[in-house]
Amino acid sequence: MLFKIAWRNIWRSRIRSVVVILSVAIGVWALSFVLSFSNGITYTYISNAIRDQLSHLQLHNPKFPEDKNSKFFLTDVSKKLDTIRQMPEVEATTARAIATGMVSSARTASGVKIVGVIPASEMKVTHFEKNIKEGEYFKEDRHNEILLSERTAEKLKVKLRSRVVLTFQNLDGDITTAAFRVVGLFSTGNMITDEGSVYVKADDLKKNLIPQTSESDSLAAQSVVSQDIAQEIAIYLKDAKLVGDVKKKLQALFPGTLVEDYWQLSPDIELYETQIHTSNNIIIIIFMLALIFGIINTMLMAVLERYKELGMLMAIGMNKVKIFTMIVLETLMLGLVAAPLGLGLGLLTVHLLQDKGIDLKAFAAGLERFGISTTIFPVLDPGLYARIALAVLITTLLASLYPARKAVKLDPVEALHKI
Amino acid sequence: MSVIVAKHLTKIYNPKTVPVNALRGVDLTIEKGEFTAIVGPSGSGKTTLLNIIGGLDKPSDGSIRVDNEDITQLSDNELIDFRQKKIGFVFQSYNLIPVLTVEENTEFVMLLQKRPKAEREKRVAELLDSVGLSDKKTKRPNQLSGGQQQRVAVARALAPKPAFILADEPTANLDSASASNLLDIMEKLNREEGVTFVFSTHDQRVIDRARRVVTLVDGAIGSDEIRGN
Repeated sequence: MLFKIAWRNIWRSRIRSVVVILSVAIGVWALSFVLSFSNGITYTYISNAIRDQLSHLQLHNPKFPEDKNSKFFLTDVSKKLDTIRQMPEVEATTARAIATGMVSSARTASGVKIVGVIPASEMKVTHFEKNIKEGEYFKEDRHNEILLSERTAEKLKVKLRSRVVLTFQNLDGDITTAAFRVVGLFSTGNMITDEGSVYVKADDLKKNLIPQTSESDSLAAQSVVSQDIAQEIAIYLKDAKLVGDVKKKLQALFPGTLVEDYWQLSPDIELYETQIHTSNNIIIIIFMLALIFGIINTMLMAVLERYKELGMLMAIGMNKVKIFTMIVLETLMLGLVAAPLGLGLGLLTVHLLQDKGIDLKAFAAGLERFGISTTIFPVLDPGLYARIALAVLITTLLASLYPARKAVKLDPVEALHKI
Repeated sequence: MSVIVAKHLTKIYNPKTVPVNALRGVDLTIEKGEFTAIVGPSGSGKTTLLNIIGGLDKPSDGSIRVDNEDITQLSDNELIDFRQKKIGFVFQSYNLIPVLTVEENTEFVMLLQKRPKAEREKRVAELLDSVGLSDKKTKRPNQLSGGQQQRVAVARALAPKPAFILADEPTANLDSASASNLLDIMEKLNREEGVTFVFSTHDQRVIDRARRVVTLVDGAIGSDEIRGN
């Protein structure tokens, strides 16, 4: 009975209720869109970072991350790669030789991370070849080729086919230089990567990195001689959810090797995620505040204009709990009609934009600086849906309390004789 | 049997600031089956007396027993419960719940009392028949005339079989024909089913039909006339 009365009461002031429902629905729609947009930014940022740079897991010599010195390398790399490739969770894996040095042209020089990749397996892990905007990816049979970012090329004032010189320390600590020919210009959409890294073939880098003579016959030395070393092994998994499991397996398989997941490799991801999460919550709270006053206002009007009727209900024996419940139900019903409407609209919008993405070229320069690509694909996950629905529910519930209290506080005698 | 026994009812509004003596020691007993009008000019305390009898207000002093229960001792919530069970209200206006049909309005108090469905349906049918509105049961109040609305209010008030019906100026907003029709129905219910009616009224049409007329003057009973009709 209470449900019936509450539901019908909503439709007494049809226009007012429709206005409230629409405003809540539009608010929910906007909220779900804004949140899925910012989720999309986070998601794109993280997946770009994983795809282009980090992969899901990386193996290093435990001392390497500290100062990125090439002399802290992994040994017995081909065996490690074989073992990793055989794991069912692994989609692809590759090894990298890394040195810190300088790239210089005839005009200028720039400090960079020199990444030596195995072209074929690198393609499977990072799809780096997709980032080539001009020129081409490494060819099997050629030597001393280098890929520069468009930005670096511009900075060095070099073009395709130009020669640049890489200067870095070899494993003995001696400065070594080698000339490379620019074969491709890339752009990853992330300015930090673009300006900070150059790519060469691992063999070319190792040739210069590893001193030709070695006097020790330790495993490390043997690996060095056979050039079976790498500064980094990157692993791309079939499913990001498997990261934790695979990490544990790898730690067991390769004791003494540092196994890190993308969270550890790039703490900014966590920071970024936390920040987006916090700002999402702030947006939800602002939305709730805006909503709460709108609803209180409407419901107060609904209560005040029914003062006599409420007095009559109390006089004929409707108790306070029932009156209170009735007003709360009316308010909740407004929210319950509006929320699915808004969420439905939000889902539809996100669904429409999910494949096409939102093109933010106009702001691209600014976004790239933060490692965000220029097309954002909004992501509305079920958890977010639930949070918005819960927020609307809590807001309407809170908003109903004051009008409902006002209703039960009325004095039936006074209410009935009010003109 | 006495339905209402009021002893030395006193009501003082604003006792601390500007005291207004609305009732000054009213003694009144109403027996079962009475058809009583409480009359008096504005400010005579008629509404205050009615509110106290109806359990909507509490006296400053004195006692009131309704159906042998001392209602001055009841808490607000107990009073609501008491009104629901013992008193049928008919107000001047705003009697009905606008969003419910005639049938649902009539059934409302019985629903609050959680009476079984079969009983409710039977009672509603009987009552609507006795107020002559069986054919309007699916209509909403705004589809009825003022007189018809008051008849629904009477049916609603009678539904839970209260000790008496308290009608506050029930004919004030009605034209002569509707008022007369409403009074006919109430008289019939009084005569045939022994329903006790207590009115507060200015309306001569109601006063003429009452079998007992209690006149209040300045918060006290000025006259109490029992007629033979």
